[in-house]
Amino acid sequence: MLNADPREAARYLGYHRTQPDAAVQALIEACITEVEAAAVPKSTHERFPLLFSGDETFLVASLHLKSRSLMRNLAGCDEVYLFAATLGIAVDTLIKRAALMDTAKGAVMQAAAAAVIEAYCDEENEKLREEAQSEGLYLRPRFSPGYGDLSLDCQRDFLNLLKAQKNIGLTVTDSGLMVPIKSVTAIIGISSTDNNCHLQGCEACSKSECTFRR
Amino acid sequence: MDIRNLIGKKMLYFDGGLGSLLQAQGLQPGEEPERWNISHPDIIENVHFSYYQVGCHIVTTDSLGCNELNFPDNGTYSVENIAKAAVENANRARSRADELDGGSEPRFIAFSIGSLGRLLKPLGTMPFDEAYKVFARTVKAATSAGADILHFETINDLYEVKAAVLAAKENSDLPVFVTMTYDASGRLMTGGDVPGEVALLEGLGVDAYGLNCGLGPAQMKPIALQMLDYSSKPMIVNPNAGLPTTVNGKTVYSVGPDEFAEVMEEIVKAGVWIAGGCCGTTPAHMSAMIDRCRNIEHKPLTKNNRSLVCGTSKTVEIGPEPVIIGERINPTGKKKFKEALRNHDIEYIVREGIKQQDSGAHVLDVNVGLPEIDETQMMADVVYELQSVIGLPLQIDTTNPITMEKALRLYNGKALVNSVNGKQEVMAQIFPLVKKYGGVVLALCLDEEGIPDSAEGRLAIADKIYKTAESYGIDKKDILIDALAMTISSEPTAGTAAIATLDGIRDRYNGHTVLGVSNISFGLPQREIINSAFYTMALSHGLSAAIINPNSEPMMRAYYAYRALAGLDPNCQEFIEKAPTLVSAAAAPIPATVAAVPQASGSADSLGACIERGLKDGAATFATEMLKDHSALDIINGELIPGLNKVGKDFEQGKAFLPQLLMSAEAAKAAFEVLKNHMAGSGEIREKKGTIVLATVKGDIHDIGKNIVKVLLENYDYDVIDLGKDVPPELITETVVSTHAKYCGLSALMTTTVPAMEETIKQLREAAPWCKVMVGGAVMTQAYADMIGADAYCKDAMAGVNYAESN
Repeated sequence: MLNADPREAARYLGYHRTQPDAAVQALIEACITEVEAAAVPKSTHERFPLLFSGDETFLVASLHLKSRSLMRNLAGCDEVYLFAATLGIAVDTLIKRAALMDTAKGAVMQAAAAAVIEAYCDEENEKLREEAQSEGLYLRPRFSPGYGDLSLDCQRDFLNLLKAQKNIGLTVTDSGLMVPIKSVTAIIGISSTDNNCHLQGCEACSKSECTFRR
Repeated sequence: MDIRNLIGKKMLYFDGGLGSLLQAQGLQPGEEPERWNISHPDIIENVHFSYYQVGCHIVTTDSLGCNELNFPDNGTYSVENIAKAAVENANRARSRADELDGGSEPRFIAFSIGSLGRLLKPLGTMPFDEAYKVFARTVKAATSAGADILHFETINDLYEVKAAVLAAKENSDLPVFVTMTYDASGRLMTGGDVPGEVALLEGLGVDAYGLNCGLGPAQMKPIALQMLDYSSKPMIVNPNAGLPTTVNGKTVYSVGPDEFAEVMEEIVKAGVWIAGGCCGTTPAHMSAMIDRCRNIEHKPLTKNNRSLVCGTSKTVEIGPEPVIIGERINPTGKKKFKEALRNHDIEYIVREGIKQQDSGAHVLDVNVGLPEIDETQMMADVVYELQSVIGLPLQIDTTNPITMEKALRLYNGKALVNSVNGKQEVMAQIFPLVKKYGGVVLALCLDEEGIPDSAEGRLAIADKIYKTAESYGIDKKDILIDALAMTISSEPTAGTAAIATLDGIRDRYNGHTVLGVSNISFGLPQREIINSAFYTMALSHGLSAAIINPNSEPMMRAYYAYRALAGLDPNCQEFIEKAPTLVSAAAAPIPATVAAVPQASGSADSLGACIERGLKDGAATFATEMLKDHSALDIINGELIPGLNKVGKDFEQGKAFLPQLLMSAEAAKAAFEVLKNHMAGSGEIREKKGTIVLATVKGDIHDIGKNIVKVLLENYDYDVIDLGKDVPPELITETVVSTHAKYCGLSALMTTTVPAMEETIKQLREAAPWCKVMVGGAVMTQAYADMIGADAYCKDAMAGVNYAESN
């Protein structure tokens, strides 16, 4: 059980401050249960020193990243975790199947799966936080390619570095999309100072016009 | 020496890990180790030598990622140059080892070929044929470089392995080894299982196969034991030195040589003939393992008699328990199904498949033959789409050998093949396909002389079929004899002849049988009474598999009751679970939609109200009711469309939300189904508003949004042509031109696929200037839409409908 939040799924479905009616609420909860049953969640991470090379460019092992927003996020960090997680391919099939039989259920299943992967990432992120804490270190909010001005182009090198295909079955298409669909990659800064920043996910992103913003 | 003469007769040892040893010598994270064949040949040679020196027979080259996706350049680091250097490095190591001991032990070079790192279609975006081509180039390079074995390893998807093995077999004569990577639960990343790997790889005729990487020896042992239960070929086990842990930022494998060797000894004792190591293992690990295994008395390799078929994530064994083969994907006598085939409405066909799976089918028969369509292409499309959502094995049902070959080639897994019979010509067409691609083949007891009336006559044909199959190298376990259910209304002994044939196959041959059960009752009233009784009779005479309608209650009653009576259902648990679903009101039609979608609670007192509240069943019932005194068109214009409009408006104003909009759309769709059927009979015609082509653009695989737009537009009576996801600009343009579509709707979810959308619009502007292009998707904004020259940006599905309605 991943404790996925039905409210998170509702938000992906466009409910902002409104509570879904009973039928939709029941459907959301049923879909979360189905996603959790089908999912084979897996994650992998590796810890690397962070090298700033100026001009908003970073070097993590062989990975070059250029982003102003990430620069802000990683200020004061000497190391990072590269992190990747996926719910597995059976969830892709589950969503497709639901959509084929009933469009409403398909849309809700999609949102439920998004809530489940977020919950799973939170859980794994927490383990990393504890690991860092035991060394007297602090973590920055996780930051994913696609947030702010960090381009998706880095996905292939990012996943190669983590051997994500072999370790957790996470692949990337030639157009930079991840398969299985319900997957997350993120950079998590490691710092010796706590910046008391609790912005996570949406709030850490600078895309204020995004439809799905919390 | 050809290793094929040694495997299964002499214990052979693979080498251990390579990557971790290279990292110790300076290989950087993210650096491609294959380059070191050319840049650091001595280091590679020394690693190989160290493995030969401790007694390994097979060294794997440093070429896991040697393919044209990773090495697209034709310069120094081309696929061919790396392959050549990789084999040369191993060859030098072998010469050194041979010099030391005069070549007393046989030594081989296995060319390592790993996963392409892309997921194949339909789950991913790489076409099967393209994966085949990439593997084929590596296979050719390895063969001409002088390798002894093609060794595919660390692959965790059955479909990718199939492309790899076909590429090997069709482009080289070298022995083929395969090892796949499982998780601790014994599953492949794409859902495949252990018997599935056995079924697929033995079907494709690889020389040895097994497991590598991902797990340490202790976690791999239960998976290896399970595989031994199924396999008939020499098995390979190459585990890691335990599970990786991170210590001070470095990946460490914690199982030392002694511990490794101890578990490997147990694995080898259980019957594994080829053993080695993977990540984190060293020459010390291999040396300890070889020492411990030296005096094991090996179990002789035995042929397993298990009859297996598999789909993408489900393996079915024929024999131990009765198997249900769903018969509904077949146009015979089905008007709607024929229409779906003519309109290339594959979703309709896939839904038929899902319903049968939900009803309890274990395998789905697929027959799409219709004189006026291209059967081969249709079969390929249907198999492909079915396998994208259904993990069950399929049964390819066609009389056309070209269709059969194409389907068996593209099929993900090991299929049932429907069918051969005792005619020499048919056997000569089908058996070579089964031999090449693997499969369990249905064999009908008829030949050039027709269908024998007697069981003896049928058994004689079965005997001929078994013998002919054997001459092609096809085992008896891969034949399902069809005892032939003929019609009792014209041939009184048809039932007893079939039953006696079942007895004969079971008792004389210990073979497996199948029947197309429902033929028995042709021409009689209340056919299901006869069918279900005959089904029970046949089951009690050992029928292995039945081709039936799993949506039929009487048939499923017979099935569950038989299992309980035959001691196949411990504590009658399954029967008790299913019983409530087996006694619905007499002859109730199968619900048009799968249950489990909670419907909005409460009732509504009109069709319009049902639609507003998203009540699917209510909407259909009201539509049927209203047809008694209204015309279909009146119902559509007076109730249906206003209901939809109301919800649409609420949605726009933020009073209703996406799930409600879609539940309403589904309710309207259910009502439309009723009305459409009525109109087909009455001759009423509803004017279509125009054709609209929908697609998710090339490179993008997210299609939920597009599907939502489709459902809404269909309700508003547009002719929607849905091209699916990852659609090239050329196909979209071609379709718009050939249908002269008034609108085209394009969807893209990610920034990386917006250029594909822009290219599509460019092509549309040139070839189809009349067409209005709407764009949408998570990444889209008005600014983006303007920039790439779209006519309209649709922020949601209703916006798409509104644009079409007003332009």
